[in-house]
Amino acid sequence: MKKKILALSALAVLLASGTAFADTSDKKIAFSNNYAGNSWRQSMLKSYEKVANKAVADGIVAAADVFTTADKEVPTQAAQVQNLILQGYDAIVINAASPDALNGAIKQACDAGIVVVSFDGIVTEPCAYRVVVDYEKMGKEEVERMAKLLPEGGNLLEIRGLAGTSIDDAIHKGIEEGVKAHPQFKIVGSVTGDWDQTTAQKAVATILPSLPEIVGVVDQGGDGYGAAQAFAAAGKPRPTIIMGNRQDELQWWKEQKDKDGYVTWSASIAPGVSTLAFWVAQLALDGHDDIPHDLIVPYLSFDQDNFEAALPDIPKGGVASHEYTQEDALTAIKDNMK
Amino acid sequence: MERARALLAKPWIWSFVGAFIVWAATVAFTGGHGGGGMITAALALAVFMVIVGIGQMFVITLGPGNIDLSLPANIGLASAVAMKVMDGSDSMLAIGLMAALASGFAVGTANYLLIRALRIPPIIATLSAAFIIQSIDISYGRGLQIKPPPGFADFANLRYFGIPVLAILGIVLAIAAAIALNRTVYGRSVLAIGQNMRAAKLAGVKVHRTSFITYALCGTLGGLDGALLAAYFRGANVDIGNEYLLASIAVVVIGGTSVAGGKANVPGVWGAALFLVLLLTMLNTFGFSVGVRLVLTGLIIVGVITAAGGPRTER
Repeated sequence: MKKKILALSALAVLLASGTAFADTSDKKIAFSNNYAGNSWRQSMLKSYEKVANKAVADGIVAAADVFTTADKEVPTQAAQVQNLILQGYDAIVINAASPDALNGAIKQACDAGIVVVSFDGIVTEPCAYRVVVDYEKMGKEEVERMAKLLPEGGNLLEIRGLAGTSIDDAIHKGIEEGVKAHPQFKIVGSVTGDWDQTTAQKAVATILPSLPEIVGVVDQGGDGYGAAQAFAAAGKPRPTIIMGNRQDELQWWKEQKDKDGYVTWSASIAPGVSTLAFWVAQLALDGHDDIPHDLIVPYLSFDQDNFEAALPDIPKGGVASHEYTQEDALTAIKDNMK
Repeated sequence: MERARALLAKPWIWSFVGAFIVWAATVAFTGGHGGGGMITAALALAVFMVIVGIGQMFVITLGPGNIDLSLPANIGLASAVAMKVMDGSDSMLAIGLMAALASGFAVGTANYLLIRALRIPPIIATLSAAFIIQSIDISYGRGLQIKPPPGFADFANLRYFGIPVLAILGIVLAIAAAIALNRTVYGRSVLAIGQNMRAAKLAGVKVHRTSFITYALCGTLGGLDGALLAAYFRGANVDIGNEYLLASIAVVVIGGTSVAGGKANVPGVWGAALFLVLLLTMLNTFGFSVGVRLVLTGLIIVGVITAAGGPRTER
């Protein structure tokens, strides 16, 4: 009863001021991460640590620890989540190795009264929160942008992401919709690039010799630079390649723009979305029980006019990011309640 | 006729036959379009499998239980070491390459020490080494992509009459490996140990020294591969070697080397590497979905290994 009053009063204070007060100051939030090996994940961890450490220093939460598993495997992360339950964390922010294989462990956490917020690699267990980017819209906008740049249309090459993930399915669906709306484009080839420059370059290199002339490449981010290299290595004309906010992609874009006015578009999920997940967990602990379990947040995009301004702020080899505040989280929640 | 039969009895011929069939099927599908480009792309990508495949071949030939699972982590670390030392400057190219080789050699030596001094089975020793190396790589490289110097990058793409220079170097390396295997005391020792370690020891073969050289050689080749991959793919990253764990083992086995050890086959490594890349080309060109692609890859590899193993079981 006392707890409820406390939560309600905290909610009242929150509604009055727009910021949270020390109600979560004794709460511990854990971050379960299944992989740290690429630039996106490194940036994700950096943003998270920056925001979470400040929240701890400000007394908003008691602890915000990060746990990364040694491999990308589901069983390892399931065991890790079980350990976090035993260690008495109040909330778990998770970038999951699988959308459904971790559901058992997630359910156990929920049953133990733990708030679970998944993002990027989301979990389908209904008791958990999901912070997702509107990937379908992103895929669709890629084709729309392409239609603006190349009104006469032509052949497209699609580079897909990690097979079997919800993200890959959503972006692909968006691209298909876009092509349906703009029938002057035709997807003549599709390869799997795993959001990875090396894999994408290899895959594009194997399919290029057999393809007719390609006017554009629609992809999922992290694969644009590799695709550009594969076209150059095969001695094929450079198509319009959609970029994915990586430093090397934007740098390459700038070089091409300086050379001959090359035009394209860039979009991706900001790694700092981890900080949004952190705030959602904190707000849920704070007694917000009206947060929708599926939160859709916008993606981060750049066009011809603003990408060069963003470029100097992205670390060499990194990816453009955005760190969210508690207010951003509240806004996102409000937008999703409509 | 006799000669043809002798050729067919060689286990490595099947990997080349497989590569040719897959290529021909792809060219038939595209109506003759892009056949040459496919071979160029296949040669350029296969060479990276060949370099680590040769290292893995020597290790596997040492006999049952010998395998190097640390190759992907080793490649990742060496790629970061090479790019960091070169730091985008062509004048540091040789030093960066040496640093990558040294990094690979150190990994190979560490593997051997774990196996020999702590008596850990190679499969566990190299797997745990891989975790340690990857962690070192993540903290050393911070997951960043460091670009290669322009001269090194151009060299990785250099080709004469459609044949990549790296592929020519890969062929030279394969010839050197074949000579080392069949004509030197070291190579004969590897084969002898693989056939029967006790007998080899009693016959005076220096077992420990030979296996040390083998693991160190495999590690060094991994280091070389890391530096070249970073040049070809325009940047080092932790994941750059991921594919080369299974690929290095697959090219050895498909190439006709015995998994039980004691029997090695150098030309087969090249045939198998070309086969795997062309298989990817074919499945990409046919436009199958990922699921179908993986199932077909598995079935076709089983088919080639069965064909390669067929004549031997008749004997």
